[in-house]
Amino acid sequence: MSSQPILEARGIVKQFPGVRALDGVNFDVRPGEVHVLIGENGAGKSTLSKILMGVIAADEGEILFEGRPIRLRSPLDARQHGIGGVYQEFMLVPWLNVAQNIFLNREPRRWKGLPFVDHRRMHEESREILSAFGLEVDTRLPVKHLDTALQQMVEISKVLSTSPRVLVLDEPTAMLTDREVSRLFERIEELRRQGVAIVYISHRLQEIRKIGDRVTVLRDGRYVGTVNIRDVSDDQLVEMMVGRSISQMYPRSRRAPGAEALRLQGFSVKGGPQEADFVVRYGEIVGLAGLVGAGRTELVRGIFGIDPIQKGELLIDGRKVTPRSPNQMIQLGVGLLSEDRKRFGLALKSPVHWNTVMASLRRHFPRGVVRERKVQSIAREYVEKLRIVTPSVLRQVRYLSGGNQQKVVMAKWLDTKAKILIFDEPTRGIDVGAKAEVHALMDQLAQEGNAIIMISSDLPEVLGMSDRIYVLFQKRIVGEFKHGEANQEKIASLMLGIGTGVKTNAS
Amino acid sequence: MNRNVRALIAPIFRLTFVAALCIALTIMNENFLTWTNIINVLRQATLLVIVGLGLTAVILTAGIDLSVGGVLALVGCTTAQLLKSGLPIPVAVLIGLAVGTAVGFLNGVMVGVIKLPPFVATYGAKWIAEGLALLLMQGQIIFGFPSSYRWVGVGYVGPIPVPIILTAILVLAFDFFLTKTVVGRDIYALGSNRDAAYYSGVSVCKITILVYTLSGLTAGIAGLLMTARLDAAELGMGEPFLMQGIASVVMGGTSLLGGEGRVTGTVIGAIILTLVVNGLNLMGVPALWHQIVLGAVILTAVFIDLQMKKWAN
Repeated sequence: MSSQPILEARGIVKQFPGVRALDGVNFDVRPGEVHVLIGENGAGKSTLSKILMGVIAADEGEILFEGRPIRLRSPLDARQHGIGGVYQEFMLVPWLNVAQNIFLNREPRRWKGLPFVDHRRMHEESREILSAFGLEVDTRLPVKHLDTALQQMVEISKVLSTSPRVLVLDEPTAMLTDREVSRLFERIEELRRQGVAIVYISHRLQEIRKIGDRVTVLRDGRYVGTVNIRDVSDDQLVEMMVGRSISQMYPRSRRAPGAEALRLQGFSVKGGPQEADFVVRYGEIVGLAGLVGAGRTELVRGIFGIDPIQKGELLIDGRKVTPRSPNQMIQLGVGLLSEDRKRFGLALKSPVHWNTVMASLRRHFPRGVVRERKVQSIAREYVEKLRIVTPSVLRQVRYLSGGNQQKVVMAKWLDTKAKILIFDEPTRGIDVGAKAEVHALMDQLAQEGNAIIMISSDLPEVLGMSDRIYVLFQKRIVGEFKHGEANQEKIASLMLGIGTGVKTNAS
Repeated sequence: MNRNVRALIAPIFRLTFVAALCIALTIMNENFLTWTNIINVLRQATLLVIVGLGLTAVILTAGIDLSVGGVLALVGCTTAQLLKSGLPIPVAVLIGLAVGTAVGFLNGVMVGVIKLPPFVATYGAKWIAEGLALLLMQGQIIFGFPSSYRWVGVGYVGPIPVPIILTAILVLAFDFFLTKTVVGRDIYALGSNRDAAYYSGVSVCKITILVYTLSGLTAGIAGLLMTARLDAAELGMGEPFLMQGIASVVMGGTSLLGGEGRVTGTVIGAIILTLVVNGLNLMGVPALWHQIVLGAVILTAVFIDLQMKKWAN
């Protein structure tokens, strides 16, 4: 490992309308190391990575490649210097197939110099590239037919196939399952040995410990410091990130649950869970664990009237209900905070106040005439109560950070006064500070007597927050645990279908 | 509040654009700034504004209605035939409006229930509406309606022409409906993010049917006004309104992607288009050149509008 940085950024400043995204940030990466960049959402990690990849230009500061100043005007410039990466936004062309995406703009030619694509070679090489990841994908499939995890893997494969000297990975594991994550880490390890310099952006502390060498922390666009990962504890890292120590990540005040809120009996949803038996009581948080594709999201979509129910019963407060539409379920006091807030939760170009009342307008204005001032004051209450960071309720939500966007979605569901709340991945993609706040809010909601169903891929979160836990594997509920009976190993093995979980009776 | 001011930048700019256009026309031609001419421009703009009202509602949901011209012609021709056959005016008018509303409703069902892309559904409806009009007219032009019918097109209340009053009432009603009612907010929510609106309990299907039905209704009203004004009905009468209608909506700041815009903007857009044509006529520019100038004005207005919005954010 040479100690000379291959890529270095000095005094980087980037101004966006209304925010200083980066304010004098320094960063460097050496060949053969994994340099982790961490920070809360909105800290400027992605902005910095985009500057390194030539996607956006810095306002001030300089970038040095092998000690010489360079200018990166476009991703192509970066690629010519051997800098490649995966940013958070989806970069594949949905209707092109896997091979076409991997070789986009550098297709192998049948005859040198002529514009005819050698399809056979393109597919062959794509298959090789993917099998290095242990992926068996039909390369003729348009990528829009792949699930998000596979798409992400294709995207990463694509970048790796250009053999970059500097590889920038912006939250590459956000959509991946554990198995794929470990494959990715093997590849990263391999590349590191080959002398590739890797910039790795994440806010999952466990994983950066596994693969990182050094770590640079950003906070509010400012450079906090660079340390060797081995020299610091998790608590110290969190404190560097949020500027204060977080006393409790999973605050729960446990108490005896109340009456039965929602019950499923032999509940089967098309393409989703089969024969599910499930109960949640008022005042209780019930965790739903399982791999992506195990049927968790389909289960709650069935409850919420989005996907049709094949058989079985749904009882709310002991009364039988046939879910037909979200509208009907909202009126019955059910709310669903979806896993994909940008797609199903928010009108990104609308301001905070209209988003807040999107599901509760009729409750506030039964006569049908809306008073915008009242809507604004309702929104202001939530901004204060949930500590949403926004200059005003008139701000379009797309300008808010991920954690604050998630709080707006929470405000929307709280404002429906739903008694049964379903949270699908409530803390995905939000930073540590906001995560603790979301948890505290969920605990408060449970204390106030609401019934909460929480889906999460984050096992510590499931274990820390739930009163009871159901585990799903291949569309079936394969286990149920009370708080205290479960641990990470038991649940993980059930999720993977290798454990023999004692399925205690639900009722 | 700072942000409230910012939200006003684009609308203020649009008004400035109109004012600048007026000043330019006044300088270039002494006949422009006369009461008769101003009233004339506004009266000419009324049809476009009315078509634009329903169209704005549709475009706010990220949809499109390509059938407005066809519906306008069909309603005009239907009512004309009914009047000719001696039916009482209220009956003929109601049947005419019912036809327009029905086409709009069917558009809504095709888009909202059968889930055809709006472009395809309403394009098909355009051909069917025009075809029906053709069947009705058999290639003829109908003219000579009772003067009490013509009053809505050419009459005056005091110094103000009836169509301008009628249009003003419709604009106020639409603006109230879209911005101040729960259903109106649902339309915006649906246009901003259809999935999120559905998850939030908005009846996506009903709202979709509603906006297309409204568009059929307003196109129908425009059809009636036009026959009353021209004292004639013919097949091609709806032709200019589709593209000019969409242009008015877009120039008025309504996003084709949905969720953003307002009917007051559409009114301005329609007035700009009408002003340009009026100015060209006053200056004696041959009609052959009108389309080129119109196209350039539309592109410039939309471009500047987008820049203004970017700047305001």
